Amino acid sequence: MKKKTSADAAPEAVTAVTPEKPAKEKKPRTKRILTLERKHTLEVIIFLAPWIIGTAAFFLNPIISSMRLSFSEITQLKGFKMGWVGLKNFEYILAYDINFMPIFVTVVKDTLINTPLTLVFSLIIALLINKPFVGRGFFRTCFFIPVLLGSGYVMQQLLQIDAMGTVGVGIVLPPMLKGLLGNTISVVVQSFLDRITLILWHSGVQIILFLAGLQSINGTLYEAAKVDGATQWEMFWKITLPMISPIILLNFVYTMVMYFTSSDNELVAYIIDEVFVSQQFGQGAAMGWVYFLFVFALCGLVFGIIKLNSREKKGVTANGKRR
Amino acid sequence: MARDGKTGRFSKQELGKHFNSLAATAITKRIVVKCFYYLVICSMAFVFLYPFLTMVITSVMTDSDLINITVKWIPSELKWSNYKIAFNQLSYRRYFFNSLIIAGLSTVGHVLSCALIGYGFARYTFKLSGPLFALVILSMLVPVQTIIFPMYIQYSKMGWLDSYKPLIVPTFFGYGLNGAFFIFLFRQFFKSLPKEMEEAARLDGCGPLRTFFRIMLPMSKSSVLVATVLSFVWHWNDYFEPNIYIRTPAKRVLPSLLPSLYALLNSEDAMELVMEDGGFTFNNAMLMAGTFLVILPVLIVYSVLQKQFMEGVERSGLAGM
Repeated sequence: MKKKTSADAAPEAVTAVTPEKPAKEKKPRTKRILTLERKHTLEVIIFLAPWIIGTAAFFLNPIISSMRLSFSEITQLKGFKMGWVGLKNFEYILAYDINFMPIFVTVVKDTLINTPLTLVFSLIIALLINKPFVGRGFFRTCFFIPVLLGSGYVMQQLLQIDAMGTVGVGIVLPPMLKGLLGNTISVVVQSFLDRITLILWHSGVQIILFLAGLQSINGTLYEAAKVDGATQWEMFWKITLPMISPIILLNFVYTMVMYFTSSDNELVAYIIDEVFVSQQFGQGAAMGWVYFLFVFALCGLVFGIIKLNSREKKGVTANGKRR
Repeated sequence: MARDGKTGRFSKQELGKHFNSLAATAITKRIVVKCFYYLVICSMAFVFLYPFLTMVITSVMTDSDLINITVKWIPSELKWSNYKIAFNQLSYRRYFFNSLIIAGLSTVGHVLSCALIGYGFARYTFKLSGPLFALVILSMLVPVQTIIFPMYIQYSKMGWLDSYKPLIVPTFFGYGLNGAFFIFLFRQFFKSLPKEMEEAARLDGCGPLRTFFRIMLPMSKSSVLVATVLSFVWHWNDYFEPNIYIRTPAKRVLPSLLPSLYALLNSEDAMELVMEDGGFTFNNAMLMAGTFLVILPVLIVYSVLQKQFMEGVERSGLAGM
């Protein structure tokens, strides 16, 4: 919408500028520049129009009404009449709701553990299938299967069955090994295996993004390092990792958001339940907002830390050059 | 290795032996590394494939194989009729087309709108381009679940409930399932392309939209393919939003039928694997067959486009942020 006003302002500028110019030669020139500018804004509007309409209709509108809803209470179900109640909803979910905070804490804890692990594993897999070898196509397809099953019900069921052990779809320790390890250790190993399966099954898109990043690194860098006698290990830390750091950031945010918004997330299920089953609309909206603000703050923190880090690194290289 | 007594040099024979042994150790080292490599990658692949393989194998098991614990990987005989039962139980033919309409149209919407918008963000810089793109990223961060209720009310006021409009229309405006991700994808790709082609076209008097559709879109085939595959797969698998907006049973989509199928099995004693229901045997094998049928179209789409998809990912320019 902002763009339109600037486009409207352009012809005004033409009329404002032209009388001031006494010289006749300059007149067409200024006009032409302005029309170009106008053309530019027009083009921007053409390309972004769908998005601007979409944002207004499918993003800002629901967000604003959800925000309003979190501060109010449905007084009349027919026509959804709302009455302002201030911070009552927030007060209720933070102080009185006995389920919200514990679920919130476990979800956050799980996500904070799973996100870095997912990144590490997907990076390892991407490194493994990056270079050509026999059977590369097959392995690539294997690692993409979780994406095909998506965040859908199929994957959730396959993994859930695994966790419950009723059908045994996930990897289960063989009984012989269980006897060998003893009860306590085998339980730990089993839960570790479960978590790894879960993490690997959530890392399809991340592997793809890392692959894209690895492929974009210039091969001459590695050749130069090899000539200088660098080992594979050194090359990984000194070339690969710095070169894909933007992808790491992208993946980090993507993974975190994926875990926070996936439909097998307990808190999300709780919020949906609160809205569509218990019909506590105001409280549900308030929960959504507390949750969203937390996710947003966390992402902001990650962005901030990584930006600071990269700035520091840039400073270091600049110093190195001076020496 | 001994030096030659007279000249104090290594004899040719000795040197040859030395290098041979060096080469031999290098080769064995390489073989060991290769073996280790394949061991690691195979075990990883196994973890990925395990649930999938179990699903496929269970789906063709006979009733006696299901009960028999010793039969895990190799069923005694293949019972394809499981698929027939699952096919009928899911009313596959009808719901398949429902799913296809939603996934197909949404994919078209996503590719068209997100390519256009991504191009706009990649090629035009203006005062608000930074904040507006930040808004795109922000819309990626907002969980659908937090705004689903206001959306529901909005659609009910528009009279869109119980139709496919709430699922399809937003995709034509760069929203819908992971719309922001696709905008981001296209923006990165168009940023990585050189500007000369368009400039040449523009100098020859080609308008902005025509430049986009005639030159830039054909050039971005690889990214279009990536977006197509991902959008189709995600929409096909999604059951959260269809479950909320669609009430009429005849309009439901395939994945949203699975929960009721699972519930049918779980409602009975889980240990009781065989259950008689209306003349056919309903069991775990059939359930797995049904599950496999639901994801089958996605598997076909991917296996056809697999190679181009991977190439497209590598060329997507996502790394050059």
